[in-house]
Amino acid sequence: MTEEGLRIRGLTKSFGGVRALDRVDLTVPMGQVHALLGHNGAGKSTLIKCLGGAFPPDSGTIEVGGRAYERLSPRESITAGVAIIFQTLSVVDALTVSENIFLGQEWTRYGWIDRRAQEEVAAGLLERVAATCSPRDRVGELPMGQRQLVEIAKALSRSASVLVLDEPTAALSTAESDALAERVEDLRTQGLAIVYVTHLLAEVERLADAVTVLRDGRVAHHAVGAGQRRRDLVAAIAGRPAETPDKTPDKAPVGDTDTTPRATTSPAAHVARGVGPSDGGLVLEGLRGPGFGPVSLTVGSGERVGLYGLIGSGRTRILETLYGRRRASGGTVRVGDRTVAAARPGDALAAGIALVPADRRRQGLFPTLSAHDNALLPAVRPLSRSGVRALGAERRVFDALAGAVGLRPARPRLPAGSFSGGNQQKLVLGRWINDTRGIRALLLDEPTQGVDVGAREEIYRVVRSLAEDRGTAVLFASSDPEEIVELADRCLVVAGGRVVGELSGAELTEEALLSAVHEASDVSVSADVSVSADVSTSADVSGISDPSDATPAHQQSVTAEGAV
Amino acid sequence: MTTADSVLVRPRALAVGGLGTLRRHPLILVLAVMVLVFQVSTGSFLDPANLRGIATDAATLAIVAVPLALLVISGYLDLSVGSTLALGGLVAGWLAGQGQSPVLAVLGGLAAGAAVGAVNGVLCCYFGLSAFIVTLGMLTAVRGLAQQLFPLPLSGFGPGFAWLGGSRIAGIAAPVVIAALVLVAGALFLALTPAGRHVFAIGVNREAAYLSGISIRRTPFALFVVTGVAAALAGSIKASVLDSAVGGTSGAGFELTVLTAVLLGGVALSGGSGSVLGVLLGVLFLGSLQNGLTLLDVPTFWQQMAQGTALVAGAALAHFAPRSAR
Repeated sequence: MTEEGLRIRGLTKSFGGVRALDRVDLTVPMGQVHALLGHNGAGKSTLIKCLGGAFPPDSGTIEVGGRAYERLSPRESITAGVAIIFQTLSVVDALTVSENIFLGQEWTRYGWIDRRAQEEVAAGLLERVAATCSPRDRVGELPMGQRQLVEIAKALSRSASVLVLDEPTAALSTAESDALAERVEDLRTQGLAIVYVTHLLAEVERLADAVTVLRDGRVAHHAVGAGQRRRDLVAAIAGRPAETPDKTPDKAPVGDTDTTPRATTSPAAHVARGVGPSDGGLVLEGLRGPGFGPVSLTVGSGERVGLYGLIGSGRTRILETLYGRRRASGGTVRVGDRTVAAARPGDALAAGIALVPADRRRQGLFPTLSAHDNALLPAVRPLSRSGVRALGAERRVFDALAGAVGLRPARPRLPAGSFSGGNQQKLVLGRWINDTRGIRALLLDEPTQGVDVGAREEIYRVVRSLAEDRGTAVLFASSDPEEIVELADRCLVVAGGRVVGELSGAELTEEALLSAVHEASDVSVSADVSVSADVSTSADVSGISDPSDATPAHQQSVTAEGAV
Repeated sequence: MTTADSVLVRPRALAVGGLGTLRRHPLILVLAVMVLVFQVSTGSFLDPANLRGIATDAATLAIVAVPLALLVISGYLDLSVGSTLALGGLVAGWLAGQGQSPVLAVLGGLAAGAAVGAVNGVLCCYFGLSAFIVTLGMLTAVRGLAQQLFPLPLSGFGPGFAWLGGSRIAGIAAPVVIAALVLVAGALFLALTPAGRHVFAIGVNREAAYLSGISIRRTPFALFVVTGVAAALAGSIKASVLDSAVGGTSGAGFELTVLTAVLLGGVALSGGSGSVLGVLLGVLFLGSLQNGLTLLDVPTFWQQMAQGTALVAGAALAHFAPRSAR
């Protein structure tokens, strides 16, 4: 118990003036599971990446197995005994299980790979993690849960002493999640120090010996021992003092609302603004597609509605389907009185629906092209006259939108890639705030991901003014409760590809959102624990059962482009 | 604030002159030094007659290099142009030899080129197959088709057809005039049309272009067709100049020469960057190199080595030189 597997002291890391980590301490003794919580941008990923050697910390020390490091290279991290299992696994699909386990440390005999010896050892390792696959199975053909176990087996083969699991259940079915929890318990008894990153409080309650909550790069809460009070954790994640929220989290409406989810579709919000479904806003009726639905919702003209949910909840899919990036399998979408069946983004745009995607680098930006080209791209053709670009008009539109979004520097010829993240996002957003395309409904996915605080405020201001001054219907997805509270008039909680709750007005608080989404996710976890997998319900309830939503965007883009 | 401002948005492809241009196209300097060296060592490199010869030789290269460059900027590639050149020249020459009017004969050749380009375009843009593989296959297949259709060398295309390669317009050889038109059209297309912007956007980030509502298939498809047509036009010009076309050898290796010119001109093989000015420089560089070495009686094999070395050296320079603002 005294032997310390991992001890992090005073770890600090800044990115361009923003402190991603600020003097973070974290100690995980051998044979313990330490849960790491905090919402997106709180610093969890940065912490893990410093540990894995991807980033050099600015200051602080990382002690692994009694040896202190000021910075680790990826190789040093592995030899020191750190193994990190990322959400996007790093197994090679084309290789077999045993080939994956021994990748880079192959056993050879006379220069040839000793396949039989590898497979024997691999079988032993697989047994240790209770995987059911065979060493000869091709990894690409295995379910997500098994792939994850293969990666853990690989970590064990390198005699890792510190195991970091980054939201390991996000891409797993509920049955797989439960199996994984047992494996984690086994590995704890085998003496590993385990850092367990999660959003799900049920997992914390079941597994964690200690908890650290990060917020804005600092340790916001730390507690040792079982019996974590859920409300303390929620308060720490949301950044409120633990005393006050006595009422709010208990009032979390989801438990009640999931019986009457859409009955509460607050008409008050519409009435207050004097808007209704027929006023030119966005209306979804029973929209469904792979991994989500049916979803019905209304965004009035000039209204800002947030979609709050965890990774895999389906929020991105809903937006992408609305925009024609994915094909809907049923339901209708209306903008104003016009029904839209968008088979491709061009169709959605023609109907006045635009999307600002979440993955700016892959889906939004043209880094080597100028700011002018980036912001004006969809406007160049509408502005052109008899096939020739109207350079003067383009320039006027650029100046207007650069002023409206507060682009800095407002230099049209500068390559977009040389702008800061916030200003890049302004360029992508700026595409849709000129009159040339007549946007009536604006969809935003994680509108301020990778954006500094100042630019975040400006983006909120732009979105607000779009809604208020132009009557644009705004529907945005976010995993950041702070952002939802800041920007939304009304919020729909999404889990398992469905709207499971709605919050507006005074009840729309960070605590309420956090409880809501954790309750919603816990429903699936506990349902699975109590009754052994009623397939239909678990598929419906659990947003985390759909692995493809968690695949990185670049993989999606490849398949989607081939498909469209 | 008026002229300066319009200069700011003036697209790169139109920008000629100035230090920035020199920095973006270091090939200008290399070309100048090379011309100087050739002039000093041969004494006749800059003679008008020799320059006319270079221009005529470079014309067919430029006619294909421009649309190919646009294709590469949009993230695709066409390796089949050498065979398409042969097929186009053969079809046009054969039609002319059959007594068709020269205009109809050339149009027939161009149609054959368009057909090849359309097959490339459908397979690459609409079916999403790899352009490298598709056009590599077409390079072989179209060569086979040309030889199957015209197993014997063709010649005797008649005086009307000879006009295309041999006549002069205002004292300038017709192929050079055509090449100049193609260069100007390419530059204007990139700079002044919406589709020109789309070419860059698709080449830099297809997914983002798609999500911006751009049709990411139509423009590259059209470029495949135009490239095929251009290759057939180059083939017709060559057939006209030589008054002969041979299925097995016409345009053999041409695809690699064109690609060399395009890449020397600073067009990125990964797509998303390049300019017509660069292509012109690449074409002139290759043409001058070949001509100058021939004047110096350097054997052909050495010339090939020089050409290849130039490409690799260019790539090395671009790789190791500090990346200036693009």
